[in-house]
Amino acid sequence: MSTLAIEQRLTELWERPKTVRGWFATVDHKDLGIRYVVTAFVFLLVGGAEALLMRIQLSGPEETVLGPESYNQIFSMHGITMIFWYAAPILSGFAVFLIPLMIGARDMAFPRLNAFTYWAYLLSGILLYIAPAIGQAPHGGWFAYMPYTGIQFSPSYGLDFYALSLIFLTVSTTGGAANFIVTILRLRAPGMTISRMPLFLYSTLTISFAILLALPALTVACVFMELDRRWGTHFFQIANGGDPILWQQLFWFFGHPWVYVIFLPATGMISMIVPVFSRRPIVGHPYIAISTILTGAIGFGVWLHHMFTIGMSDMAMSFFSAGSMTISIFTTVQVFAWVATIWKGRPVLTAAMLYAVGAIALLVIGGLNGVFTGIVPVDWQVHNTYYVVAHIHYVIVGANVFPVFAAIYYWGPKMTGRMLNERLGKWSFWVMFLGFNLAFFPMHILGLMGMPRRIYTYPSGMGFGPMNMLVTIGGFILGLGILITIINVWISMRSGPIAGRNPWNSDGLEWETDSPPKAYATVHIPIVVSRHSLWDDNDEAYDPENERVLDQARMTPTTTVLDAEPVGIATIPGDSLAPLLAAVTMFVLFIALIFQLLWLALAAFLATFALCGYWLWPSTQEIA
Amino acid sequence: MGTLAGSPPTDRAQACNLTSLPIDDQRGIQGMLCVILTEMSLFVCLFSAYFYLGIDKNRWAADQPPKLMYALVMLVVLLSSSAVLEWGERQISRQRYAAARIALIATIAIGLVFMVLQALEYQDHWKTLTPYSDSYGSIFYALTTFHAAHVAVGLMLLSYVAFLPRYGPLAAPFRPYKVVSLYWHFVDIVWIFIVLILYVIPHFTAHG
Repeated sequence: MSTLAIEQRLTELWERPKTVRGWFATVDHKDLGIRYVVTAFVFLLVGGAEALLMRIQLSGPEETVLGPESYNQIFSMHGITMIFWYAAPILSGFAVFLIPLMIGARDMAFPRLNAFTYWAYLLSGILLYIAPAIGQAPHGGWFAYMPYTGIQFSPSYGLDFYALSLIFLTVSTTGGAANFIVTILRLRAPGMTISRMPLFLYSTLTISFAILLALPALTVACVFMELDRRWGTHFFQIANGGDPILWQQLFWFFGHPWVYVIFLPATGMISMIVPVFSRRPIVGHPYIAISTILTGAIGFGVWLHHMFTIGMSDMAMSFFSAGSMTISIFTTVQVFAWVATIWKGRPVLTAAMLYAVGAIALLVIGGLNGVFTGIVPVDWQVHNTYYVVAHIHYVIVGANVFPVFAAIYYWGPKMTGRMLNERLGKWSFWVMFLGFNLAFFPMHILGLMGMPRRIYTYPSGMGFGPMNMLVTIGGFILGLGILITIINVWISMRSGPIAGRNPWNSDGLEWETDSPPKAYATVHIPIVVSRHSLWDDNDEAYDPENERVLDQARMTPTTTVLDAEPVGIATIPGDSLAPLLAAVTMFVLFIALIFQLLWLALAAFLATFALCGYWLWPSTQEIA
Repeated sequence: MGTLAGSPPTDRAQACNLTSLPIDDQRGIQGMLCVILTEMSLFVCLFSAYFYLGIDKNRWAADQPPKLMYALVMLVVLLSSSAVLEWGERQISRQRYAAARIALIATIAIGLVFMVLQALEYQDHWKTLTPYSDSYGSIFYALTTFHAAHVAVGLMLLSYVAFLPRYGPLAAPFRPYKVVSLYWHFVDIVWIFIVLILYVIPHFTAHG
């Protein structure tokens, strides 16, 4: 059979029809990955707008742009949006797009689940934003401490939306994690042994296990909160034997691993980008891989450091302080490996590389002030001040937003097929970098001066005014920098130069595909013989007998976990509307639970189950 | 291009013919193992909340431990259902699909008996303890209801599989019988821990 005929067959098998139904029913990881990224980016802009509103209010003493209650709602929505609906999903988006390409698979292990988790993610975000739309946003911060968030002090529906949209999101995130685990462990191309796996896969695999183990704590906490608020139980009320600290224990048992969920894949991205633009293999590949896994594991033993001020035994404080110090060692290993890679290489300062290097710099600052806050007496001093706000933003913007922008410049051409403008990219970087440091460095000093976080205003004469003005100006400059990249993406999609397969001369398998990749990725399933598939002498596509085409049906090979020896053929299900419909009925279920409409909730639950049954019903075609 | 030049690739890479490999039927099981891992964590969190709330409390299970009778009977019921289901799985590997289907339906019946017993247990327990009494009541009913909800979902999954048209190797590529059985066994194992932690241990720590 000629190559042209094979390509035609594969296209017929894999390409989604260009119809409205096709758009909603697609299970293609490339479509879904881009949708994840775009949706999460919209949440970044919404959360950013909320932050700027707060900064206008705080730019000078006794401003009156926002009242106390609306300020509380806006800072809560900012935190919730950024932590839950931006930071993790955008990394999942890149992972959904990239991981099958990186491992030479034609889709994820559970493509329909992939579609479901995207729709559930989108709808849970919409559910959350119904709350501000009806004027009853949650106002307890992103960690919503009891007892303030109980019904007595927060009678509006805001925190019910908080609890149930988070449970909805955990369903989506858990499904995504299971999908990543099975995909990474089973669908790698023949020859991609565990030691040849790209580092981004190590980080995504680690956080997927962390998600499975940590997220239930959030689910349990939110269920208890909702039961206490609307169903008369006593988990958090001292008067009836409950304990508000239980909320903190459960929340931070989830919360600290979550910090690594939004941090590790971004370091994985840095580990992919830095070597390409240093023109050499990464230094210490196994050490970075082991550090990544250990960060995820030790991340489960540090959660009490969020709670040093609540009163606990010296032993507990020492243990969790030591755990927090330990974890910084693993991050340091990664930082030194990146620095050594740049040092020993011939660095090329493209926009993507600038963002990656900038991220390393910010991460070092955020890591160091994090070590300070891990020391118990320092923590007591700076707890609930702007110092902690500075720390969290250095870590999350440094180790999430900047790597994500690096990824946009690096992998963006793979997604759209067109290059981004380098000059605009560098401008965007420097404006963002300047704005970010102007906005967040002074917060360290404000915190040490004693300015508490989460206050809607402050009296003049405290000396907070000038520095707060600086912070506000920096915030707007940061926003301007982000805007430049948005304009850059817009221009690139209209008139950017065609990217071609491998514009950066990178090493990963994802660059073996077209830009944007064909629906079936590559005609021949690649074979991997080294860590750097495109830098070695092996031709991945060498297949004169067409033994690795798999064009009988939608198929991709499965391999063994460690040695990646081919053992089977995974059939990939076709497009279906069931995942979208199941997400919609689940959305109805959570709405019903918020307003305690039990019969509607039961009906929606049964409908979801029925749709999942329809979705999983074996079709005779799959036997083939 | 077109040849394997330079550093010699492994023999495995050269001899990689994918056309003759069998259809993979393991992904469903592996996905279910992920679900079980996260559900395990869910129950660990619930048990931790139970112990955390129980520290330094005046009125707690130690004063009036829940009666053992129902819980132990329910344990026997659930474990027997797991045994029946395990027998059904073995029939699948012997390609005796009708027997497997009967085992599945028997499991569902035994599971329903468990649900009835759970309702009776609640009815009895409600006289002395409700979720509204105090934190102990809240966590006791939360834990057992979480478990009962898992049993209910398990029963729905088993019923779904009971309706599937075929169980043979050429049915779905996901081995639904095995997948759902794993879930059911997991739910049973959780009940062992509930009986131990909520019912048995308080009898040993009771202060007179």
